[in-house]
Amino acid sequence: MPQAPLKNIRVLDLSRVFAMPFAGANLADLGAEVIKVDTCQTQFMDTTRTITGPFPDNQPGELWWEQGGTFQMLNRGKRSLTLDLRSEDSQAIIKDLVRVCDVVLENFTPRVMARFGLDYESLRAEKPDLIMVSNTGYGHSGPWSNFGAMASALEPTHGTGAFMGYMEEGPDGRMFEGQVPNKMGNSYSDFLATWTALGSLMAALLRRARTGEGQWIDLAMYQTGTTVIGTGVLDFAFNGRRSLRIGNRHPVWSPHGVYPCQGNDQWVAIAVRDQDDWLAFCHTIDAPNIASDPRFADPIDRRQNQEVLDDIIATWTSARTSYQVMESLQGAGVPAGPILTCKQALTDPQYAARGFFETVHNPAEVGLRTKGYVGRGWKFSKSEAAIKGPAPQLGEGNDYVLKELLGVDQARLKAFEEEWIIGHTPEGGGAPGTVPLEEQVVLGWIAEYDAGYLDHLPPTSEDR
Amino acid sequence: MPAGLLSGIRVLDLGSGISGPWCAKILADYGAEVIKVETPGCGDSTRRMGPFAGDDPDPEKSLTFLYLNTNKKGVTLDPSSATGRKLLNRLLADADVLVENLPPAQSKAMGLDYESLAKVNPQLVVTSITPFGQTGPYRDFEATDIVTYALSGLMYHSGDSDKEPLRNVLDQSFYVAGANAAAATQVALFARLTSGEGQHVDVSAAACLGAHLVQPVPYYNYMGAVKGRRPVRGAGFEELMPARDGYVAPSVQGSQPWATVASLIGLEELQDEKFATGAGRIAHGEELKELLIKGLAQWDRRPLFIASGERRLVFGMAQDAGDLANCPHLQAREFFVDVDHPVVGQAQYPGMAVRLPGETITASEPAPLLGQHNAEVYGQELGYSSKDLVSLRTHGVI
Repeated sequence: MPQAPLKNIRVLDLSRVFAMPFAGANLADLGAEVIKVDTCQTQFMDTTRTITGPFPDNQPGELWWEQGGTFQMLNRGKRSLTLDLRSEDSQAIIKDLVRVCDVVLENFTPRVMARFGLDYESLRAEKPDLIMVSNTGYGHSGPWSNFGAMASALEPTHGTGAFMGYMEEGPDGRMFEGQVPNKMGNSYSDFLATWTALGSLMAALLRRARTGEGQWIDLAMYQTGTTVIGTGVLDFAFNGRRSLRIGNRHPVWSPHGVYPCQGNDQWVAIAVRDQDDWLAFCHTIDAPNIASDPRFADPIDRRQNQEVLDDIIATWTSARTSYQVMESLQGAGVPAGPILTCKQALTDPQYAARGFFETVHNPAEVGLRTKGYVGRGWKFSKSEAAIKGPAPQLGEGNDYVLKELLGVDQARLKAFEEEWIIGHTPEGGGAPGTVPLEEQVVLGWIAEYDAGYLDHLPPTSEDR
Repeated sequence: MPAGLLSGIRVLDLGSGISGPWCAKILADYGAEVIKVETPGCGDSTRRMGPFAGDDPDPEKSLTFLYLNTNKKGVTLDPSSATGRKLLNRLLADADVLVENLPPAQSKAMGLDYESLAKVNPQLVVTSITPFGQTGPYRDFEATDIVTYALSGLMYHSGDSDKEPLRNVLDQSFYVAGANAAAATQVALFARLTSGEGQHVDVSAAACLGAHLVQPVPYYNYMGAVKGRRPVRGAGFEELMPARDGYVAPSVQGSQPWATVASLIGLEELQDEKFATGAGRIAHGEELKELLIKGLAQWDRRPLFIASGERRLVFGMAQDAGDLANCPHLQAREFFVDVDHPVVGQAQYPGMAVRLPGETITASEPAPLLGQHNAEVYGQELGYSSKDLVSLRTHGVI
């Protein structure tokens, strides 16, 4: 029987938004018991419970705070405990809980945890071998330590935009290195922090198993983003170069890029690495004349004439679907793949074969259908890793945590309920407004929408 | 000195390129002993990949290689020769982890598949990192960073909506895969504490990136919306906008009211009540963008960024490699580590993403020269005589 590797690990998850909640979700997939600290006070709730959405058919329902799709992905398989961290009672509960937990995840700016009396030193007094990940924009020391951060603004700050940008066109039609930074987008920095948190806390858990010591992990997203462009940082140190913005071209290989295909906003990525790839490529696109064209004789020539070459390639790709291009070129051993939209990814044969989107059954009363949730990039041959269930409903674990784990008596529980410390419904505020999808297309927030989407979802995501 | 979290763990890094070596470097930085195993003669493929120190294309001067292989020992062996395999098996016997990133068919052909390795050491954790994983219809596809990124579903969201999707030139797919692999490898080591058994960790780089789709997936399977790239319309907040000396990312996110944002940028017209709500900023988007451009043109990046942080706003600024190298905050955090390499000399390299209070890390061992530790590992540890080593070299085994 495969066992979940973290089945004896309990995690107190004080974190919000994307990066650390997702780390907690991965720990839950690995079998850890993850207790998400929620709150009934709407204004202090995790924003993925309130405003992030998306809501079923863009309509927040009666239980809107349980319905956010992104909240579901990021908090699957956890328990929910409502507290009000501003209250001394709640702070005392956290300290009691820390004694029975192994790991704490949090992402408040440094001043906040100190104000609550819940900084690492205070918590370590409760549990000497505590492992705690504090994820912030800039870390807990240094002049910027108390600056808030969010991934969309942090991404350019940590330098990835120096190595990402469209080329610009000169008066002669030639393209040259661009000056305008761009972004991976989609909260890239958050996920870098997620993977860093998982790696560092596993290292700390391994050491704790060996020596009994705990560890505070001061994770700075700014640093995380800089570690993935180490080559660029060294190119400055040794050669004085500060950036490289060459669109989708490659510094050496050619042709290399993204080409239009049949359909709306459909693209295929193609990478020709060497002369074998080049000859196979010319043969596949049925253009033997370009193989003998001196303008394209070797990668240096091809890079110099890539504008002309790109036009020839685009003519060929435009008459085909992105999957057809992939099949032809992969058949000839040339790296190529469609730039999948999310809709395409959900039905892509590779993801399907690997079971990447895992089916989660939501309780009927929440008003969510059975859904495919994003899984993980790794599989174990022996250990179990799987999404354990949907995100918890607000305060779902109150009884379990307070009564079973901590033995809080009935009178105190009643007082907590009266003070809105524990509960199952939000206090204050109401369902967030949403912008109609037609308008979101006009605003550029979404590329398009598909009213018949339910018929286009893979079988695992259909209603049962 | 690396951190001591993984001391006692021994890793064989058979990786080449980025994903495997990055995974093994992360483990090395946490304190594992990492022995990098390279092919005699040519070594790791990044040794042939630019940029190079001083733009001199020498296999000991590749900056990617130098960065990804600090804190490792380096040996050479040819696992497809009988003697090379014997050496590898001796190393495997004492190893906890083997990291490799060969195409699945090739690792099988070379006897480096999990089944073959587990016969030598059943406690071994074998981490295989490939573009699409060990199973599925794309497992044998040819893939580079851009193809992996494309097929992950993430690239569609990168760049501007009125242009083609855009990649980062520094091969981000393989960094994301390596970081995931480092975490998953340690999960398998943790499982081994109870089970006593090793296992195979099968990492798909594309799926590691696919896990980032926590917003686009529900956009589609909750309401049929296809999320795209950065909008070209809108007021310009949360986007890159020109400032006097470069680009900044102004933001209205966080806990502060509009008035704080408007007063920071410092343009009288921005104080207008019509911009105070999200709906107002959408309705007057074009006008607001013009004002924003006018206001930001008065600012340099860093003073604006610092003034924003001091007001509890969350602006960003576009920095390049030079800005990072000279960043006072990173210096105050002691982020950079000193590395002194026998061929390229001394430089400051990016250090770890995390600070581990109690663990002081200010310098790193340089990346190994090709075969630098052959004598140490094969001689001192495995007991080969110097005569044996000469014979191994003569036969091209090491």
